[in-house]
Amino acid sequence: MPGSAWWRAVAVAAVGVAVASCSGEGRRASAGTPTELRLAIGGESEEGYDPTLGWGRYGSPLFQSTLLTRDADLQVVNDLATRHEVSPDGLVWTVDIRTDAKFTDGEPVTARDVAYTFTAAAKSGGSTDVTVLREAVAVDDDTVELRLTKPQSTFVNRLVSLGIVPEHAHGPDYARKPVGSGPFVFEQWDEGQQLIVRRNDAYYGAKPAFERVVFVFTGEDASLAAARSGQVDVAALPPSLATGELPGLRLTRVESVDNRGIAFPFEPDEGRRTAEGRPIGNDVTSDRAVRRAVNVALDRQALVDGVLNGYGRPATGPVDGLPWNEPAAAITDKDPEGAKRALEAAGWVDADGDGVRERGGTEAEFPLLYPAGDSVRQGLALAVADMLKPIGIAVTPKGESWDVIRTRMHADPVLFGWGSHDATEMFNLYSSAQAGVELWNPALYRNAVVDGELDAAMAAVDPGRAGEHWKAAQRQFGPGADAAWAWLVNLDHVYYADACLDLGRLQVEPHGHGWPITQGIAGWKWTC
Amino acid sequence: MLTAGSAARPVVAAVVARTARLVLLLTAVAVASFVLMVNSPVDPVAAYVGADVASLGPAQRALIAQRWGLDDPAHERFLSWFGNLLGGDFGFSLTFNRPVLEVIGDKFLASLALMALAWLLSGVLGFGLGLVAGVRRGWFADRAITWLSYALASAPTFWVGLLLLYVFAVSLNWAPVCCAVPIGVPADEVGLGDRLAHLALPAITLSVVGIAPVVLHTRQAVVDALASDHVAFARAQGERGVGLVLHRVVRNAAAPALLLQFGSLGELFGGSVLAEQVFSYPGLGAATTTAALGQDVPLLLGIALFTTVLVFAGNLVGDRVHALLDPRSRLVDLRGTR
Repeated sequence: MPGSAWWRAVAVAAVGVAVASCSGEGRRASAGTPTELRLAIGGESEEGYDPTLGWGRYGSPLFQSTLLTRDADLQVVNDLATRHEVSPDGLVWTVDIRTDAKFTDGEPVTARDVAYTFTAAAKSGGSTDVTVLREAVAVDDDTVELRLTKPQSTFVNRLVSLGIVPEHAHGPDYARKPVGSGPFVFEQWDEGQQLIVRRNDAYYGAKPAFERVVFVFTGEDASLAAARSGQVDVAALPPSLATGELPGLRLTRVESVDNRGIAFPFEPDEGRRTAEGRPIGNDVTSDRAVRRAVNVALDRQALVDGVLNGYGRPATGPVDGLPWNEPAAAITDKDPEGAKRALEAAGWVDADGDGVRERGGTEAEFPLLYPAGDSVRQGLALAVADMLKPIGIAVTPKGESWDVIRTRMHADPVLFGWGSHDATEMFNLYSSAQAGVELWNPALYRNAVVDGELDAAMAAVDPGRAGEHWKAAQRQFGPGADAAWAWLVNLDHVYYADACLDLGRLQVEPHGHGWPITQGIAGWKWTC
Repeated sequence: MLTAGSAARPVVAAVVARTARLVLLLTAVAVASFVLMVNSPVDPVAAYVGADVASLGPAQRALIAQRWGLDDPAHERFLSWFGNLLGGDFGFSLTFNRPVLEVIGDKFLASLALMALAWLLSGVLGFGLGLVAGVRRGWFADRAITWLSYALASAPTFWVGLLLLYVFAVSLNWAPVCCAVPIGVPADEVGLGDRLAHLALPAITLSVVGIAPVVLHTRQAVVDALASDHVAFARAQGERGVGLVLHRVVRNAAAPALLLQFGSLGELFGGSVLAEQVFSYPGLGAATTTAALGQDVPLLLGIALFTTVLVFAGNLVGDRVHALLDPRSRLVDLRGTR
């Protein structure tokens, strides 16, 4: 008896495999331009598709539309909004919205829905931060006022990222049955497997070229397998798996601001501790000459080639490639001789001949912490140690847990990764007001000029003025001046895409690989 | 009447004792899991927000902590969860944004098919191979099967999964690379064949976990049975070959295999965590990973309790079936629970 059950199971499974292998070849075998697009780029939102809980905070929210959006150059342009204006005191954002937008249930999108969305997001306790909002009020059908508790020029990023939900249909089951005014309509979500969306033919903007888009939520290995066997058109892969060409697929590298850099403790070691008991200060990195010498001596292109296998570009600062980046803050690196001269001039000499410089009894040595298990950061830390040895600085790379890193980050240099389309991040990393808050400004960097510029940038009403202040701050904290951090590299995000698929011009992507590529999905098209 | 009453009393006592044991076990599992979760070094808010934690301010962090109830002392959180549980409320999963029972129900249905198929495969295949190895002890078949068992026992599940994935899904293109349903097909167009096709590779991968112990134990039991007096007697009477094995050995040798199979539900579940991960199969195993990485305490506790009941029930059924198969064990059982 057990024997026959087993044979039955095998037979059934074998038949099943045969059936699947026939049906699996459907799309590519059929003639003509496919109307369906399949993506394996991860990014499943397990808690559903509710923007007030954080859905779509980068990339396209698909089902919902946002007030503003960023074009391929990351410039802010209108989407649902027709105009937005900030009051002279920076506290009130007035937004006019278009009147022809409809939710997919047929109801028009009104200012009340916008006000409702912002209010709900501010209270929800999800992963989008709208806590600066005091209240959102619909002034009339197509005008909404967003009133803030303090001026914040970077609030524009909430207008860019927060998808508008319908007040009348936003209940407990909304996250699993999203209704919005975006380019796509929710069709089916097999949790843990795939999300199927359909084109919204009533969408007010440029309509996508695909009738359906399927997002497959596979792991990295299965994504590669799916791409190889032609079951998906785009797959996001870690560079380690992106080896060689695959038939019919094009290796697409997208530049990102997904950066890696070293935070140097800014204070000298005077035995002080934070309120939590974390030690503060480092007698080596608190010397500006050391920080500058490290910045100058590193060969960042070699880091890109050696550690990232070429999938990246050297980093000149924390916001490479973003509109508010200051190119003038960059320096020429790969100059160990210059670094040595600077160290000598600052009094760091190797008197005892052990290969490590010292000054006043302090050896030029420090550990470099990185999260254990992150192979890219480990590789970078080891390469940095090798590059600094010839100039007489001894670096000991150490993989640690985030717990240890949090405790040590005010006293030991740490290899961090950042990168955001929201300039608030630069404020958080360099403002003394954020010193030791969360993981921000871990080095406890403090410069009154930088603080002034950052505060002015946050308070600026005009985006152009804000940009000038952001740039001025970079000239001050950048490697040529305070050299508060040593930024090393920006990663490239790697995708395999069907050779017939035109992804258009892609944005510089933020920290986080995969979903950001969907930002321009409505403009993608088949070319053959 | 008299005999029926006296037979029923030990049964009732046994049921009460088992139930009490289960309740004790569940409480212990709940407390232990909760203590582990609360003391885990993972920051629940950071785990929930993921890569975006960098752009999250202290105010938003406080809002999230408040929504999750992270501010309350640990024992209060546990007691309120436990209180709700007694009222039948398993709580709300924050990573999946829906009630825990719904999540478990959904995911378990997917896992059930996978685990049942894998369980049958490993049991039947393991028993069959063990039987052959035992009967042909010392011959080539025995050595090959024993070698295979050691190889399978030392092969990590995820590695076997990846291997199968590359051979059958990528190179040969026979099987789908992921999921429980075909990519891009509406739910109402998915047939039974599709589902089975997507089940095949994960089930084979998962069955690898259980085959080796069954083979090796069965082999030993067969060897013992063949050396026993009743087989010697049967041989003396002229019984030979398949008939001898089927009539005199199988029943004796089945006991360890059965007990192992029913006792291995825990390992099966552990293996499904890995197998489901490799094949993006949306079952309870994958949900466990998500819950653990996201520090979703209610869901993880719910899954822990659920699996405890499952494993407990498996062992119980194993004992019963064993007793049916081997009446001698019933005596031990009754004495043990008196």
